[in-house]
Amino acid sequence: METLQGIIDNYYYMVAIILFVIGMYTMLTHSNMIKKVIAMNIMDASVFLMFVAVGYAHGSQAPIIRDNAEILYANPLPGALILTGIVVAVSVTAYALSLIVKIYRYYDTCDYDEICDIRSQE
Amino acid sequence: MGFTVHFPVLIVVVMFFTAFISPLLYRWARKLAAPAVLSALVAALVMAAALLIQVQQTGTYYYHMGGWPPPWGIEFKADPLRLYILLVVISVSLWIFIYALRDLGHELKTRVIGWYYTLYSVLVGSMAGIVLTNDLFNLFVLMEICAISACAIISIKEDRECLEASFKYLILSAMGTGCFLLGVVMLYMATGYLNYGYLYQALVEAFNFYPLNIFTAAALFIVAFGTKAALFPLHVWLPDAHASAPSPSSAMLSGLVIKIYAFALFLMFYEVFPRVVLEAIPLSEIVLWLAALGSMFGSIYAMLQTDLKKMLAYSSIGQIAYIFMGIGFHHSLALVGGFYHIMVHAVTKAMLFMVAGVIIYSTGVRKIDQLAGIGRVLPVTMVAFTIGSASMVGIPGTGGLISKWYLALSALEIGRPIFVLVILASSLLNAIYYMPIVINAFMHQDEFKKEVKPVPPVMQFCMVVGMVFIIIFGFFSKPVVTLLEQAAALFF
Repeated sequence: METLQGIIDNYYYMVAIILFVIGMYTMLTHSNMIKKVIAMNIMDASVFLMFVAVGYAHGSQAPIIRDNAEILYANPLPGALILTGIVVAVSVTAYALSLIVKIYRYYDTCDYDEICDIRSQE
Repeated sequence: MGFTVHFPVLIVVVMFFTAFISPLLYRWARKLAAPAVLSALVAALVMAAALLIQVQQTGTYYYHMGGWPPPWGIEFKADPLRLYILLVVISVSLWIFIYALRDLGHELKTRVIGWYYTLYSVLVGSMAGIVLTNDLFNLFVLMEICAISACAIISIKEDRECLEASFKYLILSAMGTGCFLLGVVMLYMATGYLNYGYLYQALVEAFNFYPLNIFTAAALFIVAFGTKAALFPLHVWLPDAHASAPSPSSAMLSGLVIKIYAFALFLMFYEVFPRVVLEAIPLSEIVLWLAALGSMFGSIYAMLQTDLKKMLAYSSIGQIAYIFMGIGFHHSLALVGGFYHIMVHAVTKAMLFMVAGVIIYSTGVRKIDQLAGIGRVLPVTMVAFTIGSASMVGIPGTGGLISKWYLALSALEIGRPIFVLVILASSLLNAIYYMPIVINAFMHQDEFKKEVKPVPPVMQFCMVVGMVFIIIFGFFSKPVVTLLEQAAALFF
């Protein structure tokens, strides 16, 4: 029962981990390259979600200091770090998509299995 | 002192700055582009050497980025070990760049060479950053920069194999960084720190409360760095990526990039996770056995290859395993061996890829069975190949022997002679696929039939430099080994 209560209290971590596994599984098993890139983004987003969730405490507010110092603030550091992480993920995505465009020009497909078939016939 | 206090960060900044100006120079003042990158590399080398001298006199030096002290600010750490790796990285990349100046025009379209300089500078800068940084999130960002630029120096050739290989590499290294960042989150949840030093202290206590978090983080780190450094079962991306790339890129990727990640894993094991964690879970043992398997299977796969560059790429999987063994033994002699091997293998494998590049440049041959008799038409090239192979096998008088010697000694010291057998067996396996090429090249009775273009003097000069250094590493290992022994003593 205690475990269950723990899971319910920290459901955002569970969501993050489930998304991570979905992303990683799809990225490694799907043969469609676009889907691989989408899965890569799901995986990255799940980690970002988890990182931001770490900085939140129940009932806390945005970390903008006001007059009365009694308020509980959320930890701003994870948010700041994740902004950098998002930028990095965007640039990796852009690069991966540009590679797919180039590969598509050679093979007329973005499916990895079909590319392997085409190459084995040559 | 003045600006010398900023040397750690200046090394990274100089390279990134060069990355921005080199395509502009290439467009408007083409003659200046290559000298700009060269001078940036020389400047970085001088700064790293100056830092090493300073650190040896005054002890480990911490640099706080922007004046913000840790645990919030980013910290760069300069200790003898990191500076040694940094010197290896910068000097080898300077050497490869000189080779690339002549080879790139042959392998790439003229208009993209300026962009190649950009990617090259970014790659060197990010590797320097990975070595120096003392902060996990900073490490993540630099690893992504390194991954993108490493993929891009493969795909810049824009033929089909390169594009596919770099896509595969990109996906697997994205998986690696995803796992790494998740591990960082786990550690941050448990301790609230990202700085290595703070984590090291905080994890001792946190281990009592959140052991699962820390176990997960350790497992994720092994997967992350194992993928990126091509530790045995996670190596699938390496052969295609390293074999299809332009030769200077192959030299860079096989010589330096994979070792940087092995070094990062070392830092995780020795500077982030305290001893209690490593004693509770057999992390070193896992790495050790995977390395032992890798050193065998890398060589066995290499034997089956018909393409020279593919063979060299598989051989890297076997050689990186020695470095992982050095990490896994948990003994100071093993660290000396592993880190000596980082230097020896960086020089040797980079030189062998240069040899492959020269063979492709002057004859167009890539297949191993067509190399018969080539030693009589390209003598310097094949002598370089011979010395490189000797160092891979570990024949006395070459650098390869010294690192294997220290690894074998430490295996005996910790009472596990089976690993001596592993090292011996994998050396023999190396000999089985390197030596036939050498023998065929010089002794085969047929003449080499293909047309041979003369080898440019710059390329020959680079190969001669490589040979000289491999032999110097074999005979005069004392200064480096002393430095490494001092550095390794800090961890035990």
